[in-house]
Amino acid sequence: MSRIAAALVLVGALATASAQAHIASNGFLNLDVHGRSLTGSLELAVRDVELAIGVDANGDGKVTWGELRSSQPRLAAYVLQHLRFRSKGQDCALRFGSSQVDARVDGNYAWLPLTALCASSVRELDIRYDVLDDSDPSHRGLLKLTAGTNVQTAVLGGSNPWLTFAVDGSSRWRAAAQYLQAGVWHIWSGIDHLLFLLSLLLPAVLLRRNGRWEPVSRGRPALVSIVKVVTAFTIAHSITLSLAALNVLHLPSRLTESVIAASIVIAALNNVFPVVTETRARIAFAFGLLHGFGFASVLVDMGLPSGARLLSLVAFNCGIEVGQLAVVLAVMPLAYALRGQLVYQRGVVPWGSAAIATLALVWFIQRAFLPL
Amino acid sequence: MPDLIPTGTGRPLFERGRPACVALLCFLATAGAAAAGPYVPADENLVLAHVPAGAAHSSVSSRQQAAARLDVALPLAQFYISQARATSDLRFLGYAEAVLRSWSGQPSVDPAVRVLQATILQSRHQFAASLVELDAALRARPDDAQAWLTRATVLRVMGRYDEALVSCERLRAADPGIGELCKQSVRALNGHLRLAYEALQSLPREELTNAARAWRYSELGEQAARLGDDSAAAGWFEKCLRLAPDDLYTRTAYADLLLSEGRPGATLELLKGYGSMEPMLLRIAIAQLQLGDPRLSQSRPLLASAFAVEEERGEAVHRREQARFLLDVERQPFAALLAAQQNWRVQREPADVLILLRAAQAAHQPAAAQPAQQWLTTHRTEDVRFAPYLARSQ
Repeated sequence: MSRIAAALVLVGALATASAQAHIASNGFLNLDVHGRSLTGSLELAVRDVELAIGVDANGDGKVTWGELRSSQPRLAAYVLQHLRFRSKGQDCALRFGSSQVDARVDGNYAWLPLTALCASSVRELDIRYDVLDDSDPSHRGLLKLTAGTNVQTAVLGGSNPWLTFAVDGSSRWRAAAQYLQAGVWHIWSGIDHLLFLLSLLLPAVLLRRNGRWEPVSRGRPALVSIVKVVTAFTIAHSITLSLAALNVLHLPSRLTESVIAASIVIAALNNVFPVVTETRARIAFAFGLLHGFGFASVLVDMGLPSGARLLSLVAFNCGIEVGQLAVVLAVMPLAYALRGQLVYQRGVVPWGSAAIATLALVWFIQRAFLPL
Repeated sequence: MPDLIPTGTGRPLFERGRPACVALLCFLATAGAAAAGPYVPADENLVLAHVPAGAAHSSVSSRQQAAARLDVALPLAQFYISQARATSDLRFLGYAEAVLRSWSGQPSVDPAVRVLQATILQSRHQFAASLVELDAALRARPDDAQAWLTRATVLRVMGRYDEALVSCERLRAADPGIGELCKQSVRALNGHLRLAYEALQSLPREELTNAARAWRYSELGEQAARLGDDSAAAGWFEKCLRLAPDDLYTRTAYADLLLSEGRPGATLELLKGYGSMEPMLLRIAIAQLQLGDPRLSQSRPLLASAFAVEEERGEAVHRREQARFLLDVERQPFAALLAAQQNWRVQREPADVLILLRAAQAAHQPAAAQPAQQWLTTHRTEDVRFAPYLARSQ
């Protein structure tokens, strides 16, 4: 065959080029570590079992349950050669139970329950996986390793058959710590949420009487007012943050961002021309719902880790609360101390609020009307 | 047309945000359907798997023998690659890899081995690695027509049209017909769609082999669809499928055309028996959704878990399909946008542009569509299906 003719053989293949393929060959290894014992299962596609050890006894091109079941000892022997667990340099004794069948997206799988007993409590687990390596080098083992609340996943096989896993590692909590930090960072860097909250809190140390601001006489009502606003804001944004982060509800970002800016304008103007004085917590709640969508935009960008979605979401939310509480704790005692001063009543509250309202109005116009 | 995964287009469904309760119900339905678990079959004769030709254990020893001789290993690897294409079964690529393995580790790798390896890499969407192999093969054998063709294909999918045209030009010397097909398929993406369509129509068919003829029909079908001539496109696709019924790429392209015309029933008819292949199953699911077909409750969790497994493996051969699944079936525009953006990093075909535009619009993030719009401005890729998204996002 000439080279060009050979080329044309492949042209058809290229033209049809439908390497849209099925998923590649995977084995699924689930392991649960308890002290020195491992329990779990290995799942191999029935097709892969055929390729590895030959189960189709009558050679009719079909593998039946009877054929698979009677090949069980050979399958166990094969897996023993290609899957090893080791802890502290010593092999763990691996045993298999009787196989069952599991239907997966690309066909039926042989499901092999397994237990392995290591010499001592497992801290670091070495896993060697080279199943099917000789006949299908693209085969991989997809590991899910559970130790208590800690779940790790990994891809086994390929060029590097031995992999080591820290079993007592707290990767889940480490991820949570990252999300906590991200939450704090987000509230500090996204100044609009803080300005909204501060606009609602600035007058919390004052009372509105006869058209003018007067300082509260005791700390208690101020504290109650602060706690109410912060709590209402927190509950509201937690609800929508969770809904958005879990992909249940979405609002267009342009809408949320514009309304967030508008909420600051309204909250700040309310200090200059007070309309709502006793029920600011309700404003905090109503607009807090929209601020929650704003928080969620960050989470959408970061994504939530699959093993710890809820934990990371809670951690992110806690980070927001921590960041917001830190600002409240820094500002409000000062406001309380200054509440009797005219500079606070007639300067900081009205003029500071007016400045915030102006800034937020600019944001609103930018976000709502200017092209992105 | 020498594309790696089928082009995904279709009428935009469910662009707008949907009520939360619907989403929650969908989520619960999916979660419920995914739970099954291992069992002991009651019937000894229950058939668990069909073993395709070349995939039995008995073939392993003959494979090993074949791998010892290059002149046997090459056609065997080629057989497995063509099996992978005809059945869309990625395992065959692994078998081909195994056959070639002992030849690829050597100090001076035979160019023919490199070309086959490049084809395997291309099929796995590892385009950069594929180009490395092809360039090495072409250094050793500068007139290797297959290497030039594969190179043109890879570059085209990556959107590197100028370089793709150079490769097509080199092909012309070996086979003028194939070279012309190659060239027009690139020009059609690069601002000359109408001219390419006319040029391909007047290409003398006698000069082409059956395979090349099928490619021409399929390419004409796609170009007609991009021009907005749906009935001509359907005619070309049907001609192609009569000549090459196993052409899965064209079948999916045709399915997309039918879906965009609002003909879900015809789509299901066209894809009957192809449900085990993910890209086909995606179109089936979209058709079922349009029809309100209850079988959607089966195809949807199947697709979801297939994409999940792929992600777990750290590969993204079907990222484009995944984005479309998230957008059209799962109705999660944000997640769809993320997948479309990841896909955009790898490939730049019209379907990749379209899914990015659609997902960005559905997620109300017009800025996310910017790279695709920029791309269209630079490369002047024409496709009537882009219009609604471009007009509205301006």
